Amino acid sequence: MEASPTKSPLRLPAMANCIRITIFTLFVLPLVARAGESPLYETEIRPIFKAACFHCHGEEEEIEGNLDLRLRRSTVQGGDSGPAIVVDDPDSSLLLERIVSGEMPPGKSKLTPAEIELIRAWIRAGAKTAEPEDASASAFSLAERNFWSLQPIQNPAVPNVADSSRVRTPIDAFVLSRLETEKLNFAPDANRRTLIRRLSFDLIGLPPTPEEVKSFLADEKPDAYERLVDRLLESPHYGERWGRHWLDVAGYADSEGFNEADTERPSGFRYRDYVIRSFNADKPFDLFIQEQLAGDEMVTGPLKNLSPESVEKLTATGFLRMAPDGTAAGGAMVNLARNQVVSETLKIVSTSLLGLTVGCAECHHHRYDPILQTDYYSLRAIFEPALNWKKWRVPAARKISLYTDEDRTLAAKIEAEAKVIDAERAALAKVFIDQTLDSQLLKLEGAVREPLKIAYKTAGSERTDEQKALLDKYPKILKISDGSLYLYDREIRTDAAKIKAEHKTKEKEFVEQAFTAALADLSKEEQAAVRSAHATAAAKRTVEQKTLLEAHADKLVTAATLEKFNAASAEELKQLKQSEKDLLATLKADRLKAIQEKATKIRETKPHEGFLRALTEVAGQVPETFLFNRGDFEQPKQKLVPAGLSVLDSQELVSIPENNPELPTTGRRLAFAKRLTDARHPLTARVLVNRFWLNHFRRGIVETPGDFGYLGARPSHPELLDWLANEFMSNGWKLKQLHKLMVTSTTYRQSSKRSPEQDEIDPDNHLYGHMSIQRIDAETLRDTVLAISGKLNRKLYGEPVSVTKDSIGRIIIGKDNLDGERKPLAAIDMKGEQFRRSIYIQVRRSRPLGVLATFDMPVMEPNCTSRNSSTVTPQALMLMNSEFSSEYAGVFAQRVYELTKDDPQKQCQHAWELAFGEEATAKQIENSVAYINQQKQHYEKFPQPKSKQTPDQLALKSFCQALISSNAFLYVD
Amino acid sequence: MKDEPAMTDSNHTRSARRHFLASSAIGLQSLALAWLLKEDKAFAETFKPELQPKTFDLTPKMPQHPPQATAMISMFMQGGPSHLDLFDPKPAMQKYDGKEFPGKIKYDNAAQASPVVLASPWKFQKHGECGTELSELLPGLSKIVDDITVVRSMHTGVNNHGQSIHALNTGRILRGRPALGSWLTYGLGNRSQELPAFVAMTDPRGIPVEGVNNWSNGWLPALFQGTVVRSQEPRILNLDPRKELSGLAQEKYLSFVQELNREHLRQHPGELDLQARIASYELAAKMQTAAKEALDISKETKATQTLYGLDDPATEEFGARCLIARRLVERGVRFVQLYTKNQYWDHHGSIRTSLPAACKKTDKPSAALVTDLKQRGLLDSTVVHWGGEMGRLPVIQNNAGAAKVGRDHNTYGFSMWLAGGGIKAGGTYGATDEFGHKAVEDVVNHFDYHATLLHLFGLDPEQLVYLRNGRAQSLLDGQDGNIVRGILQRG
Repeated sequence: MEASPTKSPLRLPAMANCIRITIFTLFVLPLVARAGESPLYETEIRPIFKAACFHCHGEEEEIEGNLDLRLRRSTVQGGDSGPAIVVDDPDSSLLLERIVSGEMPPGKSKLTPAEIELIRAWIRAGAKTAEPEDASASAFSLAERNFWSLQPIQNPAVPNVADSSRVRTPIDAFVLSRLETEKLNFAPDANRRTLIRRLSFDLIGLPPTPEEVKSFLADEKPDAYERLVDRLLESPHYGERWGRHWLDVAGYADSEGFNEADTERPSGFRYRDYVIRSFNADKPFDLFIQEQLAGDEMVTGPLKNLSPESVEKLTATGFLRMAPDGTAAGGAMVNLARNQVVSETLKIVSTSLLGLTVGCAECHHHRYDPILQTDYYSLRAIFEPALNWKKWRVPAARKISLYTDEDRTLAAKIEAEAKVIDAERAALAKVFIDQTLDSQLLKLEGAVREPLKIAYKTAGSERTDEQKALLDKYPKILKISDGSLYLYDREIRTDAAKIKAEHKTKEKEFVEQAFTAALADLSKEEQAAVRSAHATAAAKRTVEQKTLLEAHADKLVTAATLEKFNAASAEELKQLKQSEKDLLATLKADRLKAIQEKATKIRETKPHEGFLRALTEVAGQVPETFLFNRGDFEQPKQKLVPAGLSVLDSQELVSIPENNPELPTTGRRLAFAKRLTDARHPLTARVLVNRFWLNHFRRGIVETPGDFGYLGARPSHPELLDWLANEFMSNGWKLKQLHKLMVTSTTYRQSSKRSPEQDEIDPDNHLYGHMSIQRIDAETLRDTVLAISGKLNRKLYGEPVSVTKDSIGRIIIGKDNLDGERKPLAAIDMKGEQFRRSIYIQVRRSRPLGVLATFDMPVMEPNCTSRNSSTVTPQALMLMNSEFSSEYAGVFAQRVYELTKDDPQKQCQHAWELAFGEEATAKQIENSVAYINQQKQHYEKFPQPKSKQTPDQLALKSFCQALISSNAFLYVD
Repeated sequence: MKDEPAMTDSNHTRSARRHFLASSAIGLQSLALAWLLKEDKAFAETFKPELQPKTFDLTPKMPQHPPQATAMISMFMQGGPSHLDLFDPKPAMQKYDGKEFPGKIKYDNAAQASPVVLASPWKFQKHGECGTELSELLPGLSKIVDDITVVRSMHTGVNNHGQSIHALNTGRILRGRPALGSWLTYGLGNRSQELPAFVAMTDPRGIPVEGVNNWSNGWLPALFQGTVVRSQEPRILNLDPRKELSGLAQEKYLSFVQELNREHLRQHPGELDLQARIASYELAAKMQTAAKEALDISKETKATQTLYGLDDPATEEFGARCLIARRLVERGVRFVQLYTKNQYWDHHGSIRTSLPAACKKTDKPSAALVTDLKQRGLLDSTVVHWGGEMGRLPVIQNNAGAAKVGRDHNTYGFSMWLAGGGIKAGGTYGATDEFGHKAVEDVVNHFDYHATLLHLFGLDPEQLVYLRNGRAQSLLDGQDGNIVRGILQRG
């Protein structure tokens, strides 16, 4: 179905559309002329010039045509072509002429008619500025310096509201006062079942059990809800849930990405565990940030015999090691790869903590925000002592061992023991080589033996050409080595097998000869009878045969009795046996292997050596940082010193030293971390509380959590944002308290039911007049399926659960097990690890787990500041047809079956409660039972030949699969 | 001001839609209605940043100007076919054959580099009314030469397979960005209600260099990812019901799921996402039969099967994929990309035998595709692309005897051909230097190529943006791509 190709109005909003948006345009529309007032340079004109013109006319070292548009006065003054504008006379203004003709700006993006009209109006009205231009005005305009997110955080008073009955916390007062201006109110409180499900998913990422629901419903104490909140916040699963949110912005991954190999990061998981532990311990967030940015600078002394505290601080710096890092591959692109690590790391830091797209200033001044290109490189300078692209350390070179001196001593002792065995093996190998050489030489004609032996024994580099030629002629001699002995063993085995065969033939022959001799006295008939009886298996002999054999017992010859009849033959056989044994005793490779295994076993007793993935500086290395022209590291320009954003200079934040003499490190990152967590910093706390809010309320107060800049959204509730930021900081940056404040609010406890009144003016619920429904995210979906199936392995922390590809390339949980042609072999037992929570599943960038990727688990390139939620057919197909869905529906059904046995009503009720957290109504039970019966009849009519399950079980399974496929399961109210 | 986000949802359209929903009351089971309701998104005015969390869908979107193309089939010749031996005759090279190259060469593999010129061992001849010269290795293409434009001045300038593939398939040389097909489906949605919008068809002998990155949605939402149609069963993952839940059992299961969903929706009136999910189940069920039908080429006439070379073992496999590609586009699929196996065209050595073999496999079926699309009236709206991520150098690599010589990578000048969907029929565009080493005339970079394709689809390269981490991201990513008017029917 193709929409008809009509030109869509991309630039100018249709008038009809403008009416509805009046409430919101204030915080989303970046560029509007104020009606009735003449445009001002700083607020209206400069943003246009900045985006379209400054690059050539002001910001670069060389200013095109000597025209600098960064100041009103330099604009009037003009450049090589004369004044750019004639005040009051747009029609005589060269600047406007060039713009209107399309000559400027060059390239394909032109100014819009609205922008051009604004410039015209500005010139006509006298080209006014908001305030007199001072010298510093060229860097940042007043409007830029006054941008909302760069202002100090205010301490707004909690507003009064008309309907105070709904106000449980100050949050509610802020939200309600805004609602009341639209004549709206909160939705009613949600019921308890909804609340416990909402809270459980929100705080621990898992559904409440039916028992937990029951006990909450039965709790009649007035603080039942508060105690539920406390219980969930104390659950160790809280850290998994909220740690996951942080890992998104940190760009957590268990592989290096960058190139096809996508090498694994074996120690990356310790950072993940650090994050989970920090959340569980309610570590103050300022400390949490400081540790992640500068944990290494907080550790004193050399990086060995690390105390648990030091390990924790160093592990925290894994935050700065999360960017894709392809530098180990080397090659021609290595400098690009190194610089990319630096720039991606800066992206992670700035979008997660500053909430600004600082990365845009890598090549030129930020087009929209007051971030200079020099700011970018000053920021980069903070990290360069640790991420020094000129003296780069690849991931393997940055590993920090967790060995203590004791471990090391013990390991050395064990190594020494193993070395003894190694030496034993080496000596024996030497003997074996000599033996092999001799035995091989014996197979050659006499004349070449000695010269060959000498040639072989001569070191490769010292052999004469003749010797080399000789050895080349006899590769069987040349190739004798420790590693090839097993090949010569094959020869021995062949010889031994020959002897064995000879032994067998001879034995048969000797026995027959002796038997014939022993029977010689008997008649032909008797001989035949004895032979026949003797040849018959003992169990099958007749009574007559047995009697006959007993009578001639002294004449019966077998291999065992041969010696009595013919000692010489028996001796010959014995000799043969012995020579086979002797020959096999000369097998060499297996003996060497056995010794080697002994050494390996000894080595295995060494204490396990873990490593940290951390960021550190190299003492004494203080690299100089240069601005890169257009972001190209091959075009370094002026040197820059470390600093924070210059637009905040007036705010007296912690400044950043070039090299702090009191620390073994430069102290740059530590100072930067202190600066960010300085209560006066306008961004950090705002950015953080906005994120927390987003995860509770499913929408940020600023809807672009990674961008608090000009192109980002404006806060819907700016006072609330500041109030929360203050509250957070004044309570010691403690998160659990803030959680409690948020989730105990009326705003949070509302029903998700929409009201027509609010839908009329605020259909997207910017005003929080009800709770927004939300689809559970990828990890929660998988974890919940595991939980309700009774399979969830609740083990905390540790190495990631590996992922692999199945025979058709799907990414599943498992270990790589490939044959020589890289085709998958049988699955390796995962020992229950396959049931771990999703946060512990290996994040291999090139191998996103199928079920998680389908439900929008983000790709870390390099991080994710806010998740998408898609509703697409592959999700439906996955729930309908995938192995995951089918397998766990089966386990879920089995669990339900075991608990309720053959009572269909009970089965439905129980499964319903597990999946939805709700009690099924009589009608729902009736429908469900009817469905199960239908399916049962179907399976009775069409038996499933390969299934071990009864029609009852299959029907129940399909019911359980329907539940986990349905919206009531997938969405939270 | 630039880079205003195109095609993002906004308050007023959602609100308008909600009004409609309210007045039409319940009864939203009809997929078609849901479909129609979503279509108004296409007219959304776009001046606010992306608001999170967003939902995305594949409903048809309005292009920004009338499109000439509505679908594309790209035959990606991974490895880099030698333009010098196929598309770009250099008679002047003959006199240098076997002699030293008179200039500087950008080698990739220094260890096997040789400065000795290798003039093409194959003859070129003019074909068709347009008189485009093609190599004797391309007899099939020669017959339809009046329907195609050969671009002889391609350039990505980065001599590695992976990076050049990224350039041509995702717009930049770095990994991790959305593929062209993802951008097109993001910008325009799906024309089919029953089939995936973006299909990647892999070679049975292995996936191309960069594997899944070729059809990755990058950081675009997952629904814009290419769906892999595999060369053997299961052709599409999770498409087929599991045995015990197939046929009637699945019908019952689905109708029960939808019953639950509708009841849930009644408790949540006005929730668009819940309605969309109900629709997604209906689509999934339809897709199960529709995709099976689309992939089944047995019902095609004998004549058609012969046209694609299904009767010849050499062309059978690639021919079948070309034919499936046509069937998909015919049924509304937006973008199909076919890949040859890993490094199939990477002829560092033995080019005298390996290049003819590769041509034998692809020449007839790819020409058949153009012929077939044309006779069905689909060529006018379908862009057909044939080309790899690079060409080859004019000099010898692996100078170890005539049978062993090959050519090294060359991304400074190479060829591809395009047809249909507004592309000029007949003729060549651009030129390389006299040795075919570097594009010198009307150079077409990967970003020009993408700007042109988007233009044909009615999309403005600077308007088709996705806001991510506060930045407006686009396929061209700020590179100054020009629409290559010289290859368009309507310049």
